[in-house]
Amino acid sequence: MLIPHPLLGLRDAQEFTYLGDAALLDRPSPEGEGAEAAFCDYVFLRGNPAGVHRELWFHEHGDRSWLVVTRNTLTHEILGAELASEVAKALRGAAE
Amino acid sequence: MTDLIPLTVFGAETPRQTAPGALALAERPDIAIASLALRRGTAGAAPFGLLLPGPGGLAAAQAHLAFWTGAGQWMVLAEGLADTDFAAALRDAAPGCSVTEQTDGWTVVDVTAPEPLIARLLERLVNLPPEALAPGRATRCQMHHLPVHALRLSSSRLRLLAMRSATASLWHALETAGQRLALP
Repeated sequence: MLIPHPLLGLRDAQEFTYLGDAALLDRPSPEGEGAEAAFCDYVFLRGNPAGVHRELWFHEHGDRSWLVVTRNTLTHEILGAELASEVAKALRGAAE
Repeated sequence: MTDLIPLTVFGAETPRQTAPGALALAERPDIAIASLALRRGTAGAAPFGLLLPGPGGLAAAQAHLAFWTGAGQWMVLAEGLADTDFAAALRDAAPGCSVTEQTDGWTVVDVTAPEPLIARLLERLVNLPPEALAPGRATRCQMHHLPVHALRLSSSRLRLLAMRSATASLWHALETAGQRLALP
């Protein structure tokens, strides 16, 4: 499996460590109504679909960056990869 | 005062050199290493006249060399300065940046061979497209299952930064590969 690193180009998946569901980047606000329930879901629930999934991968044997990789879990087809820092920035921007 | 004798990573008093096949391997304990990271809001730095390179890049100026290791991070090498406080010198040359001493954490191994031989060596030991290690490129990767920083200084020169504790394994891999490449 080759992962298209946004900065370094195609890299073998062996260089990466897998974390799982990229929804982890979207941490709920600790304030307001239902914050406790939202945090409970955030901490304990992970998406694990059979199909297209957005996942966090760490480039351990590379530039040590976190990536959000969109992968089809049925076919292992990689549909895209973005820097997790950019995704997190966009999420923060959308929240403000 | 006690006379202390510095030993190299292999426990010897002189750096190891061998030439398996047509490869020349040389341990380089004279090279000082420090890492440089920009802090948030810092515009940039140009220590020792080095133009800090972008992703996968390498820049050299006289005895200094810098290569990209991550977003806003570089490793800076200086030949012949391993027994000086190179991190302090780099800190002075790059004000406002985070600098960490790395000398002796990594072992530097220089591989010299004719260009086609280096290409065949990389084909066997590195799982990367050839352009990722074309002359003037540098990247962190796995070589023989060991994490290394690989720097292609020129078409015939490859510099490897190996984890100190695994240098003997890397040396063995390079030696074996050199011997096998020499087979008809």
